[in-house]
Amino acid sequence: MFNATVQRIRTPAFKITKNCKSKDCHSVLYMIPHGRRFLSTSSCLYGKILPRKKPRVVHEIAGLEPITYADRMHFVPGLAKPRFPPWDRGWKDPSHYTSPKLEDMPLHKDKPCYMFNQRTNVLEGVRQALWLSKSVIIKGLPAQILALAEDPANQIENQDERVQDAIKNSRLWDTTEPRPPRERFCPSLLHRLLHLCDGLQVMRPELAKRILAEKYSLAATWRRGEDVFQVRGQNGLLLNSMTPVPVLAGEEQIKSTADQALETFYPIAPTIDLQRTHIYQEKNDTGFREGYPYPHAHTLFLMEMGNTPKLFPEQLRAKMVMFAFGNALARAQALYGKEPRVLEKPIVVQSVATNGRLFQFVVFQLNTTDLQSDSGVKNLVWVDEDQPLYGFAKVWPFIKKKVVKVPAGLSGYQPNTFKKFLALYLHGAA
Amino acid sequence: MSVGLLSRALSALSVSRAVSPQIASVSGVSAALTGSRGFMTSACVCQNRSLWKQREKYTVRPIGMKKTGGRDYTGRIVTHGIGGGHKQRYRMIDFQRLRYEPGREDQPIVEKVVEVRYDPCRSADIALVAGGSRKRWIIATETMEAGDVIRSSCTIGRMAVLAKEGDSHPLGALPIGTLINNLELLPGKGAQYIRAAGTCGVLLRKVNGTAIVQLPSKHQIQVLETCVATVGRVSNVDHNKRIIGKAGRNRWLGIRPSSGLWQRKGGWAGRKIRRLPPIKSFVTPAQ
Repeated sequence: MFNATVQRIRTPAFKITKNCKSKDCHSVLYMIPHGRRFLSTSSCLYGKILPRKKPRVVHEIAGLEPITYADRMHFVPGLAKPRFPPWDRGWKDPSHYTSPKLEDMPLHKDKPCYMFNQRTNVLEGVRQALWLSKSVIIKGLPAQILALAEDPANQIENQDERVQDAIKNSRLWDTTEPRPPRERFCPSLLHRLLHLCDGLQVMRPELAKRILAEKYSLAATWRRGEDVFQVRGQNGLLLNSMTPVPVLAGEEQIKSTADQALETFYPIAPTIDLQRTHIYQEKNDTGFREGYPYPHAHTLFLMEMGNTPKLFPEQLRAKMVMFAFGNALARAQALYGKEPRVLEKPIVVQSVATNGRLFQFVVFQLNTTDLQSDSGVKNLVWVDEDQPLYGFAKVWPFIKKKVVKVPAGLSGYQPNTFKKFLALYLHGAA
Repeated sequence: MSVGLLSRALSALSVSRAVSPQIASVSGVSAALTGSRGFMTSACVCQNRSLWKQREKYTVRPIGMKKTGGRDYTGRIVTHGIGGGHKQRYRMIDFQRLRYEPGREDQPIVEKVVEVRYDPCRSADIALVAGGSRKRWIIATETMEAGDVIRSSCTIGRMAVLAKEGDSHPLGALPIGTLINNLELLPGKGAQYIRAAGTCGVLLRKVNGTAIVQLPSKHQIQVLETCVATVGRVSNVDHNKRIIGKAGRNRWLGIRPSSGLWQRKGGWAGRKIRRLPPIKSFVTPAQ
């Protein structure tokens, strides 16, 4: 009949990927992905999705009101499309809530704030934390704590045996699966070690005036130069005590810090990796209410289990320093007010972080809340890095070419690490 | 086929029987030729093939990629020999070296190289550089190492700058004869040429307001002297000397075997010795 070439109509391989009931969709456009219909000939036959043409640009001329078809209540070719004011429901419907733009939010401020939270992974590590908290670092723990560690009167009976038992319990015997994951053995080990240390309460009643708190939200604000910084978040276990931790550095050491310069790391700015936000509240909160019987933060225990996010030891130490500083600053502002000043009675906060095997110890002494300038008295940080509690805790021995390289069970136990852990725990009560 | 069936069914239902669509569908001629309008019988397939690359905000963290296998949106192979291979994550590379951080437009761009690593998406290595409060990935040059400090400048002085490898300057500021890479064609557009491993271009001449660069293929192009280029050779210089070794390694790289059918090669094959094409100029006469 027709002298036309016979063309095979190719069937587009379509399938409805979305199953939704018709009563859920008030408009058929909800069901169609892309939100529009493709009615050109080739789209219908061959499933070709033509790219959307840009809509005609309508220029607004000041002073001229366009004549719209709003009064006619239907489309009239030739008249402009009416633009109606956004409709306000009058009451807050939670399922139809659109948040206001960032600039219209009530807490919006022009000046940005740099936040450090529990997920922050700073690039420069401890150097950046020292600049932010205006501190000077001393490698190794202070002499008083080392003396506590070496003193045999402070040991638990059968200390080494009991610690090794605790490690074996959490690393090897905790699960029926081949090996427990880090998210399981790390908190389990920390709780067992704390329980061991708590056993000394029989001999030292001052140890009973402490309490462990978990999931408390810290907030501390300070200004450094022209920027506002904040530490926020739920960081870890906090050991609170009724009495403050005794001051570690003497007057001369504190005054000598005024001569030491803060380390900068040009070209990287100290605000790198911090969350920059314009919507914030300048809050100073220790996490506990007024009249809490254990107001003084003693030790912060951080667990690094590699999930949110995985922190290298340097970044973990930076997190410890920042949160110890945040706790100390919040306490200082609660005690002495928000005015920046040099504290007559410095506040000391300790921190212990572990990933299940390696322990990092940090002691932070807050000497001044005057953090605006880079000069003057600075805070002190003692850092003890990468102390292994044990070498390996293997379920199966590591055999290479029929030679046992690492035996099964616990190997490479270091007793000094637990002595330091215990000394930090006893500091302030011994 | 479903369209034809349905159109036939609907024409059967209508009172006034249209003859031509019926005959057209019976003889199997395309509905487009006969003038009957087809219609959609099902919803469009929801394609999120390219949603992974629709991110506007720059990020340093790697993004999961979807492999296409050489196929386009119709599902047919458009490019043969692509498919499979190790899973790769795309790291967003900033090809515009002269990108200022918002708020620090007046200060010179000085950055420190944090790490140089392998990129599965290209032959060259990439470097994570940090400057101010931001980090970004750039193509690493030959001797770039962690801890180096690199600069990007936009000024063209009267005297040529002593070019240090890794720094980026406009072509007008570089001495002639320098090896360059990551060349821009239009100022501010971002590097488009000389990005592969071990490649470098040579700055041949500077001619009132423009510069002539020889590309690695020995072609010469003329660009404005305000276009920015990085000094030095691209990293991973021995990339062309590597030996694949086995068919499996090619499969890991996502290269499928070519068709084994022997086909007589025509005039396109074989070595050609011809003169270089004339210099391609990317400078419009108005400039």
